[in-house]
Amino acid sequence: MNFVPHDNKTIAEMLNIIGANSLKELFQDIPKDLFIENFNLPSGLSESDLLNQLKELSQKNKVYSSSFLGAGCYYHYIPSLVDFVTSRSEFYTSYTPYQAEASQGYLQAIYEYQTIISRLTQMDIANASMYDGSTALAEAAVMASIITGKNSIILIKGIHPEYEEVVRTYCWGQNINIETEIIENLEDKLNNKVAAILFQNPNFFGDIEDIFKITKIVRDKCPDCLIIQVMTDPTCLGILKPPGDTDIDIFVAEGQSFGINPSFGGPGLGIFTAKQKYLRKMPGRLIGKTKEIEGQKEGFLLTLQAREQHIRREKASSNICTNQALCSLAALVYLLAMGRTGLKEVALQNFQKAHFVKKELSKIHGYEILNKKPTYNEFLVKCPNIKALIKQCKQQNLQPPLDISRYYPEMKNVVLVCVTEMNSKDSIDTFIKIAQSISNDKMEVE
Amino acid sequence: MKSNIPLIFEKGFDGEQQSFVPQMDVDMVDLNEILPENLQRKDLPIPNIPEVDIIRHFINLSLRNYGVDTGIYPLGSCTMKYNPKVNEVVAKLPGFTFIHPLQEESEGCLELLYHLSKLLGELTGMDGFTLQPAAGAHGELVGLLIMKKYFEIKGLKKQKIIVPDSAHGTNPASAKMAGFSIIELKSNEHGEVPLDQLEFAMLEGDIAGIMLTNPNTLGIFDKQIKDITRIVHDNGGLCYYDGANLNPMLGICRPRDMGFDIVHLNLHKTFSTPHGGGGPGSGPIGVVNELIPFLPEPCLISTKQGIACREKNDVSIGRIKAFWGNFGVIIRAYAYILALGAEGLKKVAQIAVLNANYLKVQLQQKYYLPYNRVCQHEFVLSDQGMPNNVTTEDIAKRILDFGIYAPTIYFPLIIPGALMIEPTETESKQSLDYFVEVMNQIYDEAKSNSVLLRNAPHNTPVKRLDAVLAARKPVLHD
Repeated sequence: MNFVPHDNKTIAEMLNIIGANSLKELFQDIPKDLFIENFNLPSGLSESDLLNQLKELSQKNKVYSSSFLGAGCYYHYIPSLVDFVTSRSEFYTSYTPYQAEASQGYLQAIYEYQTIISRLTQMDIANASMYDGSTALAEAAVMASIITGKNSIILIKGIHPEYEEVVRTYCWGQNINIETEIIENLEDKLNNKVAAILFQNPNFFGDIEDIFKITKIVRDKCPDCLIIQVMTDPTCLGILKPPGDTDIDIFVAEGQSFGINPSFGGPGLGIFTAKQKYLRKMPGRLIGKTKEIEGQKEGFLLTLQAREQHIRREKASSNICTNQALCSLAALVYLLAMGRTGLKEVALQNFQKAHFVKKELSKIHGYEILNKKPTYNEFLVKCPNIKALIKQCKQQNLQPPLDISRYYPEMKNVVLVCVTEMNSKDSIDTFIKIAQSISNDKMEVE
Repeated sequence: MKSNIPLIFEKGFDGEQQSFVPQMDVDMVDLNEILPENLQRKDLPIPNIPEVDIIRHFINLSLRNYGVDTGIYPLGSCTMKYNPKVNEVVAKLPGFTFIHPLQEESEGCLELLYHLSKLLGELTGMDGFTLQPAAGAHGELVGLLIMKKYFEIKGLKKQKIIVPDSAHGTNPASAKMAGFSIIELKSNEHGEVPLDQLEFAMLEGDIAGIMLTNPNTLGIFDKQIKDITRIVHDNGGLCYYDGANLNPMLGICRPRDMGFDIVHLNLHKTFSTPHGGGGPGSGPIGVVNELIPFLPEPCLISTKQGIACREKNDVSIGRIKAFWGNFGVIIRAYAYILALGAEGLKKVAQIAVLNANYLKVQLQQKYYLPYNRVCQHEFVLSDQGMPNNVTTEDIAKRILDFGIYAPTIYFPLIIPGALMIEPTETESKQSLDYFVEVMNQIYDEAKSNSVLLRNAPHNTPVKRLDAVLAARKPVLHD
């Protein structure tokens, strides 16, 4: 199969107009010894054979009826409108809207995305998107170093471990030093060499911090230091106090929860927001509203491109070019479809259902909830027999919670449980029953 | 006056919002018991809007947007080819979309990633691939971090990267993000890398390597490519291939054989995954054997038990994105390669080059072509000598009036007033002929009625927009 619309006669006609004798002649600049006659690749497939082959491959993956796994990627309900809108090929087959007048539809949509994100987060400005939450956080750290001219960053324990690794990679690239500290030590560790502190809230373990306590410590001790918050499931913002109300300088998040399927972890959506004063140091594309040069109509275009790589080259604020536009469109449609009422409802259900499971588990002998602070839809549980718990969940077609030793080998027999609005009472009851059935098993030898 | 379609936020009502989530079915407690009141938000300034209004809004917006499915999209260096619809179906199979990145039972996903790496390896000649990078520029950063690590481990201080002046803007920006400074090399009169200056630059000693696009942004295949990579290697440097322009090389020749050590690909260009209005993309990085240990985590290998992650090592550059890259994009590229197979991919390159040369030969009759030679997938015109000093921007805006999209403009920077044209292999002769007709008419208009061009576009939803005003007083949301 190929998607070339020419027949041989047309090819001959075109070669004739070009003045070439063969297709091969068009490759005359390539040194002879570079040509390869036969690539070791399979022959092409018809559409039906292709579909069958990929269906078969997809069936090697397990789709569970219900999931207790989160840890940075979440199962939330996606309204049917979302896929309907993002499947409009005027949107998904377009390029970055360089020619504004022929791209008003998408430009307006992304302007609306920037608007709804700044309203949801109460931050001054939002960009058009970054690759994902982890790279958004890493770029925020680099941006803070550029703004302050300092090259030391403090990470507060509780950031998604994969995000932390990404931040380390980016910062190593730019010779920025990183230290990880527990929140209780923050005050001692702050000094005037620190460009930024990074923390996740709700954090990886599920804890919700009182952010004012953090911002107060930082502002008192180190006024120049930027405070950067990351969030992996921003559906909590339906109820939780938004970062813009808590004096955060840069707020980033993974937006996958807003209408994007897990899809093995990508594509997701890097939400990037900041205070107004950092506008010209921000990475990524920005859509602005303007007017016609000769006329009164309003319109939208890519703006402040002097920050970007295609103009500034090595002086750019970042190298980002392609972003996750279609995912920001999905997030916009999701947030609009849910509306104020739906967003509150989702957050409420996540708070309540997770709390319900937490309460039920805490009643079972041998189970201990490790969170001492409020939590959203995730929490840590110490359990008597993690292997049996995971095995039995799978047998009952439930996706088991995360064995946290995957990231923290020292934390044995602890699971990170995630409960969203998608977990029905039935699936919750099954999960609780499984936990009860292995409550009397002996603790594994640590 | 407002924009023609009111912002969605002007809609909204107080009626009952369509309900999407499951009915709440567990016992609730007072919210204040779970979350102290001072941590709760006071208000949520997002409207409730009836579903029908949301849908109409976005359908109307989509009608004001141009995609490959609308018509020719001759944006140079962007490879705007047709996006096969079966790929959309494949990427939306529940066995892919509902898979959690941390779940164990994901053999299908891992096999797909691994097999695609192997296919890309065969097409480029590279020994190992990572599919982690989310876009081309992200791939560039990864490639450069690999260079950085390679020299760091060897105990060598190499702080500079050579980038020709014809390079994509991401190249120098990525080099800077990896902590390098840049030496810019001026292209010679053939649009190629000047060997003598390259040799001279390499003598400086702290050069990590070169970043090169071949065919370059002028659409020219650099005949001396093997000499270039040899000079860099002889002086201890590494050669990086910017794969944005790989399309005309598919099934023809391979970056590895040209002498490259690191290659990035753009799955959203060469391998037909939709650009999505600017993303999501995918920018895999391929390397030679010696550099495989430096690839980012996680890195897949084949074992007796199936596909698995290699054990963590000390020299990997680390993780560059959470989870597994833009998997949804990767599926589409995999499907594309399987559908086309060896013969289909070769045809892609041949016809992409045929189409570009066909357009070039026709358009150079009226327009100025600074580098007049056989091109590969694209070529660059300029507004030099246009009647009545009509500019490239005027030409581009006027093109929009004919219901088609404009080429890349003012890039590459080495040609003042550049119009960079890449038709791709999926445009028919009729479609190309229409583009030529439009361009010829515009040239004639430049002679007879240049005001028409200067005020263009006329048939779009808005006329030419004020970019200066937008940058001076940024309005980024309502």
